[in-house]
Amino acid sequence: MREVIVVSGLSKSYGSVRAVRDVSLSVSAGSAFGLLGPNGSGKSTVAECIVGTKRPDSGKVEVLQMDPRRDRRKLFRRCGVQFQDCEYQPEIKVSELCEEFACLYDRPADWRALCARLGIGDKADSAVRALSGGQRQRLFIALSLLPNPEVVFLDELTTGLDPAMRRSIWKVLNELKAGGMTLFIVSHFMDEVEAICDEICILSKGRIVFRGSPEKAKATAGKDNLEEAYLALSGEMGGLR
Amino acid sequence: MKAFATLFRNELKLSVRNMNMVIFAIILPLAVLVIQGFVYGTAAAFEGASFSFIEQSFGALCTISICAGGLMGLPLVVSDYRERKILKRFKVTPATPSIILFVELAIYGLYALVSAVTIFAVVSAFWGARFQGSLPLFLLSWLLTVTSTLSIGMMVGGLAKNAKRASVWACVLYFPMLIFSGATLPFEVMPEQVQGVVRFFPLTQGMQLMKSSFLGVGIGVESLLPQMIVLVLVTAACSLIAVRFFKWE
Repeated sequence: MREVIVVSGLSKSYGSVRAVRDVSLSVSAGSAFGLLGPNGSGKSTVAECIVGTKRPDSGKVEVLQMDPRRDRRKLFRRCGVQFQDCEYQPEIKVSELCEEFACLYDRPADWRALCARLGIGDKADSAVRALSGGQRQRLFIALSLLPNPEVVFLDELTTGLDPAMRRSIWKVLNELKAGGMTLFIVSHFMDEVEAICDEICILSKGRIVFRGSPEKAKATAGKDNLEEAYLALSGEMGGLR
Repeated sequence: MKAFATLFRNELKLSVRNMNMVIFAIILPLAVLVIQGFVYGTAAAFEGASFSFIEQSFGALCTISICAGGLMGLPLVVSDYRERKILKRFKVTPATPSIILFVELAIYGLYALVSAVTIFAVVSAFWGARFQGSLPLFLLSWLLTVTSTLSIGMMVGGLAKNAKRASVWACVLYFPMLIFSGATLPFEVMPEQVQGVVRFFPLTQGMQLMKSSFLGVGIGVESLLPQMIVLVLVTAACSLIAVRFFKWE
């Protein structure tokens, strides 16, 4: 199977703090990959090094056979990103924000249809700051899908959404995956990961402590639910032991 | 081109909604004009002058808006977008630094144009100011003043770490240029030492160019060409630095 994302030997430090150490992973086309780990384990740093908004100290990153920093413009015609921090121009309306990002692509998806699919179709004329946290989250997922991407990066995609909405987002993502899109998801939620991801990678203190399918994670840890398995594998049992 | 037009339209809407630039780049210059109009009326600039005081200050009044946009508006908007991580979002799209910078340049250029047109309309309707010089030369001088000042703003906005640092730089550039290059005080009344220093501001050069071409005094190619070359060089250097060393984050 074709590898869409290939990371080898990725390391990154902030001053004397070694945020990511020697991370290697690969994601094959049309699959969904979940990057998990406790706060501060280096998840977002790995994701940001892959999309090129951070420069790795060492190691190699390739997305769609391209270097995300050197081939930035070419890559991001075919790749969508949703960051954890949803920032936008103060005063901007939903329709204006969508237009601003849609106009950057040669053949963008119809943003009205995307917003409708994500349940915010009636918000086009609202100010972005007047949306609820969950609505804003869905708007930024819609923005990441504007290029009709072959691969999309989603960081903490359903944080702040209610259970029904989370399930409807999973459904959309599973449909996109069935259509051949590759998904790279950074998440805290094991139910979400289990509903979407084919393969997961658990980070702890900047290192990979597990790689494989959710089933394999449960088998390895000897637990029957993924959350228990995750806590055991990431060494995050804390005071509960 | 379609991307430029869409970004231009939407960013312009945001800027007008914010109102700051409408006040500082359009209303403020008009207010200064009205005050000067009531003080000086149609009086001659000096004994035996062929032009009035207020005609003499037309070029200077045009630069108030150019200054506000280029040294306050533009750098602050771009650095604010950087601080809010809006530029980081643009970094993961095919957008280039130049489209972002030149969209903002076009917006503040438009403010300067609207200001110049409204000032001219008011000054000619109420205080009988007439255009006595060379229109093509005036337009060229105006354009060079706009591009050089806005490109300084692009450079500050493109490189400043955050909005706070950009606003310090903006103030350092904005107030001395506004006060000393002749926008508020006529260049001629300043002490010689001050004149010697402010001569180096691109805005001073631009204003002298606009003044001579508007009034039709001393508009030989020999006398204007060096000033124009300075402004072209400032524009080229600052735009190049802004695009080349643009910081997304």
